[in-house]
Amino acid sequence: MRKKKTLFQNLLSYITYKEKEPIKEFYIPEINEKESSQDQGNIPDHTNKGHERNRGIIKPVPVAEMRKEKTAGQNQASDNTVSTNIQQNMDYINQKFNAPDNKDIIIRQFTIAKRYKAFIAYLDGMVDRVTINHFILAALMENDDKFTNGDESCQLEFILLNVLQTNQAKKLDTPRDVIYEILSGNTVLYVDGCDYYLVNETKGYDKRGVETPQVEGVVLGSQEAFNETLRTNITLIRKYIKNSNLTTEFIRVGIENQQLCAVLSINGLTNPAIVDEVKRRIKSIKSDAILGDGMLEQFIEDNPFSLVPTMLTTERPDRTASHLLEGKVAILVEGAPFCKIVPISLVSLIHSPEDAFMRWPYGTLLRFVRVFAIAISTLLPGLYVALTKFHQEMVPTDLLIAIAKAKENVPFPTVVEVILMELSFELIREAGIRIPGIIGNTLGIIGALILGQAAVQANIVSPVLIIVVAVTGLGNFAIPNYSLALSVRLARFFFIFLGALLGFYGITIGLALIWVSLFNIKSFGVPYFSPVAPKTSRSADLFIRYPVWNQEYRPDYVNALRKKRQTKISRKWTQQNPENNYDREESDDEGR
Amino acid sequence: MMKEGNFGIREAVYLTILVLITKIFYTSIRVVVKTTGTASWYSTLISCVTSIVLFLLLYTLMKRFPGKDLVQIFDKVTGKIIGKILSLVFVLYFIYYAGSSLREFVEMIKAYNLPYTPPSLILAAFITVIVSLAYVGLEGISRFAVVSFYPIMVGILAILLLAVPYYNFNAIFPIGGYGISKTLSVGLLRSSAYTEVVILAFIINSIHGVKIFKKTGLISLGIAGIIISATILCSLMAFDYPQGGENVSDLFQLARIIYFNRFFQRIESIFLFIWIMASLVTVGATFYISLSIFCKAFNVEQHRPLILPFSFLTFMVALEPKSLTEVTQRNIAFVRTYSIFILYLIPIFVLLLAFILGKKGAETKHAKG
Amino acid sequence: MRKVSLLLITLFFFFIMTACTTDGKEIDDQVYALILGLDKGVDNKIRLTIQYPTYKGGGGMQKSEGGGEDKKSGQIDNTVVTTIEASSILEGINLLNTVTSRRISLVHLKKVVFSEYIARQGIKNYLEPLARFREIRRITQIAVCRGSAEDFINENKTLIGESISKSMELMTSQSQNTGYFPKTPFETFYKGILSPYGQAYSTYVGINDFKHLKPLSEATAPLRTEYPILPGEIPRTGDLARETIGTAVFDGDRMVGSLNSYETRYFMMVSGGFEKGIFTLEDRSMPGSAIPFDVRLGRKPKVKVTFNNGVPIIDVNLNIEADIGAIQSRIPYEKLERIDELNDLIADIIQNGIKKTIEKTQKEWNTDIFSFGYQAAKHFFTIQEFEKYNWLRHYKEAKVNVSVQANVRRTGLMTESAPVRYSNQDVLSEEK
Repeated sequence: MRKKKTLFQNLLSYITYKEKEPIKEFYIPEINEKESSQDQGNIPDHTNKGHERNRGIIKPVPVAEMRKEKTAGQNQASDNTVSTNIQQNMDYINQKFNAPDNKDIIIRQFTIAKRYKAFIAYLDGMVDRVTINHFILAALMENDDKFTNGDESCQLEFILLNVLQTNQAKKLDTPRDVIYEILSGNTVLYVDGCDYYLVNETKGYDKRGVETPQVEGVVLGSQEAFNETLRTNITLIRKYIKNSNLTTEFIRVGIENQQLCAVLSINGLTNPAIVDEVKRRIKSIKSDAILGDGMLEQFIEDNPFSLVPTMLTTERPDRTASHLLEGKVAILVEGAPFCKIVPISLVSLIHSPEDAFMRWPYGTLLRFVRVFAIAISTLLPGLYVALTKFHQEMVPTDLLIAIAKAKENVPFPTVVEVILMELSFELIREAGIRIPGIIGNTLGIIGALILGQAAVQANIVSPVLIIVVAVTGLGNFAIPNYSLALSVRLARFFFIFLGALLGFYGITIGLALIWVSLFNIKSFGVPYFSPVAPKTSRSADLFIRYPVWNQEYRPDYVNALRKKRQTKISRKWTQQNPENNYDREESDDEGR
Repeated sequence: MMKEGNFGIREAVYLTILVLITKIFYTSIRVVVKTTGTASWYSTLISCVTSIVLFLLLYTLMKRFPGKDLVQIFDKVTGKIIGKILSLVFVLYFIYYAGSSLREFVEMIKAYNLPYTPPSLILAAFITVIVSLAYVGLEGISRFAVVSFYPIMVGILAILLLAVPYYNFNAIFPIGGYGISKTLSVGLLRSSAYTEVVILAFIINSIHGVKIFKKTGLISLGIAGIIISATILCSLMAFDYPQGGENVSDLFQLARIIYFNRFFQRIESIFLFIWIMASLVTVGATFYISLSIFCKAFNVEQHRPLILPFSFLTFMVALEPKSLTEVTQRNIAFVRTYSIFILYLIPIFVLLLAFILGKKGAETKHAKG
Repeated sequence: MRKVSLLLITLFFFFIMTACTTDGKEIDDQVYALILGLDKGVDNKIRLTIQYPTYKGGGGMQKSEGGGEDKKSGQIDNTVVTTIEASSILEGINLLNTVTSRRISLVHLKKVVFSEYIARQGIKNYLEPLARFREIRRITQIAVCRGSAEDFINENKTLIGESISKSMELMTSQSQNTGYFPKTPFETFYKGILSPYGQAYSTYVGINDFKHLKPLSEATAPLRTEYPILPGEIPRTGDLARETIGTAVFDGDRMVGSLNSYETRYFMMVSGGFEKGIFTLEDRSMPGSAIPFDVRLGRKPKVKVTFNNGVPIIDVNLNIEADIGAIQSRIPYEKLERIDELNDLIADIIQNGIKKTIEKTQKEWNTDIFSFGYQAAKHFFTIQEFEKYNWLRHYKEAKVNVSVQANVRRTGLMTESAPVRYSNQDVLSEEK
């Protein structure tokens, strides 16, 4: 009885009025150029507060560490202060890295100028041995004659300035940061009597070279892709943007794995509110481990339940650069060969980096092909089901009879056929990725062909359906964004279901539902359908790609600090007279 | 006050036009052709002009109270209690409108496309979209209108153009229809078919004030008038007046007779798409407006918890008539012939009252006005 | 809360899944009738014949000799023809489901054939369900069959390809190539029946018994131009017995008569439906030899109706263009000074033909299939006045003026034929 009452109450709760506390949403304020030059870098109040508040959150002391802190309390070296005793510091590091159980941490003791006790510490394998051997150890142990003053006080300052031959070296006086540096593959140097460490850049772990893009291949355009090293990736971007205002900010995410995450933006161009919002969201993450950009995306996206991605994933530095120059923000994570770009709208997902490199008619054509591909790969199987189940009148009579003839021996209803074929196609795609090496690619195609042929001969599906499924698959591959392609694959099943249920009516209802859900999505304050709906100013780079010299404005929705990309007449030469023109005088040529 | 978000004039115009013209997909044309015969195509223009005049009267009322929507004006002029009652009348009317159009739509789709599907299923699918539209609110509806506007317009144009082989321009003669007095009286009454523009008065604060209100209203009324008149003209030319008054939906019948060659025929199912889209916009918008008026009248901050109860009401209105005949000859006849008395005459009455009582809105310039 | 929502959603989907199957039908769960024939029944009101394609693979397997027909089982060229008697069309089709094993769908119906007998009795009872039923679309062609519709459908075969539907569609489109019969989609036909502006007409079809082609003989044959042919009368053999030629003329829903092949051409010229056709005319300078022309309308026909003392006057103004197909007499008519002879010849004959055709519709049947009423309606201000005057009643009183301008535009691949030389004739090609 009681349960029934709760059920009733539950039902009642659906139809009774409940006031809810609205959640405040982020939006991108418009900032005038003048204002921004005055308070550049000034962040709006509310985000500032978040900033402050979150500062405590990013460096929390994990429970495990707190325990250790207590045991380390006997020594003077703690998480906050560096002991002046070399032994205590060594013990601290050893204990932090669980030596001697942990064999990765190497502490090498030696004396400098035969007087000063010192040690370096690093993680085996993470460092470049040559640098340590030749430019740290050799420099410190062979330059006895440089140490002339005989002073017993801390020599690190002197060593930093005169002895060490590494390109990057800095002082660090918080042991926690020291540990982090060691973890990142740097070498720390400590000399007895000092209360700080020297950190030398010696990252030397194995990494992949810069290779060609795997997901976003293009014909005309650069063939470089990001790799797993954050540094390399940022360098690749800097190659395209030689601008001192390109700012990289590092944030560590993940309590246990402390992954480094870079937020790139162009100072004075990108709306600072976006940068702050991105930083606010990343900093506020309280999670054990963030292993790559894909995980980070799920933690910071606006609508976790949306079907479509609200961040643009790219593995191309040139594409990243072009978006940065539009006033967007790029997020890179150490260890992931992809970059996330925010904010975006739906149209940027159907753009390909190639578009801008080609002359505008070709670029426009390709875009229309892609829009068509999305439409086909979302709707075609659903439409086929709807057509054959509800709207037979639309099929040309001869084709209809041909389909009926082919279907005569097929025992399944059309929906089952479609779902069967779609599922096998999905299988082939998924298997194609797993099957090792060269076989994988060929098997995908051959598998599809053979499977289709065999299925038709075995009277399991009708031949027209094979064409439908094949075209759908092709359309799916033509979608430039992998995440979008995945969401389209999902939506396709939704439409098959609706088409089987209510025909075109169902499909229209489904389309409307998806549209409505898309209207409700925002990507970092930007409505997903902008600039189509809401209608902002006309865009020169929407579906029809205007000539590059015609694209005078940055996308309206990012509210960049400088709206204009180029002057009204960017091709100044069209207004100038060429030196050699047809109108010149005969005599002009004399003397040449 | 509830927050509804803002949108531009273009969105407002698209939304209003769609709400105004959706009736051409339904029985509206048939009724006009039946009652006014060959004069129907300009009789609807008479209705449109009448509606423009009434709209301008409404505009004078809105101008008297800048920055206030119709609900607030009711409250201000007639006092809290009568104001609330007037607002409630509008709430009920729009629910009735949404439900009746919904039922008309269902009857049509059953007649032409899904004769054996249970109407409750069609209704449920439709209301799902309506509820989600209302959930995302006015901004979402306006964006939905923008995105579906172009396909709908292209679709209507395509139907009218592809049926050209059937047109006989001389079918508009005798030019006078059933006589001037009949044309005029039907034209004047039938301005009820253009009353939906009043919804703009309730969302006036979302469209940036009185000036945009006037502009939006006039543009949408004008364009809608032209579209409706063109559709009537085309049906008249294709079917003549005797048969034009016989088809359940003339526009759909036009789509059904398109025949160019062996491949290009029987394509009316494609037009189902625009037809459903238009109906979704119309019912979604009117449904939301009734919610919005209710929220504004009773100072409810959030409309979302009210969606389900209101959708039940709409569902009930939609299921109440027994047959197609009852829907078209009672519900729709009321909406398209007598709604003028509710939608226009109440505000005009309030305007008179405001004149008599000398009530006026604050002269302070509204931030967005 | 979550569980309840889940329950509700599951219930909703369950409801959907169980309720959804009513309208969706698999393609091969239905057969698609392509042609519907209506005859007068013997025991009941209607005798209904339909033809639908079978789904047997390839074809070839069932083909018997000759016309490939097996009357007993109703099999004709990969199609099945069935006839049934019933009280109404829709119920007849429903009744046929008892034998067909699949639902008979009319969404692809290409043609409805009425037998002349019921057409003359009046067909509004048959049209009503066709206009109302959602499966039948108004682009279905309407035809009246000389003889019984059942026989016509039994002869509805194809020899060229396998597809009956294609052959039927293409048969209809022959109207554009010949002008021997009008296209009458249901929409036009139905409009004509309801319209106060004009009357309905339809394609006229029939079955040829191949007896009109006389055996070869030595006797010289006369040149017979404007040969008045009705369906079933074409002197020919081979191909199929069915043929489409001429127009059935209706007054209201009752067939009152028919136009033969050439009258149909003149009728279509005035109503604007004529696209092109070969006219063979007799050479005035050399009787017995023919000049075929490829004739088409230069512009849309101009029709004007005026009233003089209450008597309607119809002015028809036509502009005809023609290309020479042949000049059997080899007389150089192409010369600038002689081309008008040809123009006059064409104009005279067409003008005469049109006049006669209009007169025939006025005098014999008083049915305005030309829809002159649209022009007449301009002189009335209100529908009441127009309907009171009743154009359809007064059509026969109208005076008709026809003027035709003809222009020979092109002469084909040659011009000014060189004379044929015989051994016993001197031919001087030099011009005098």
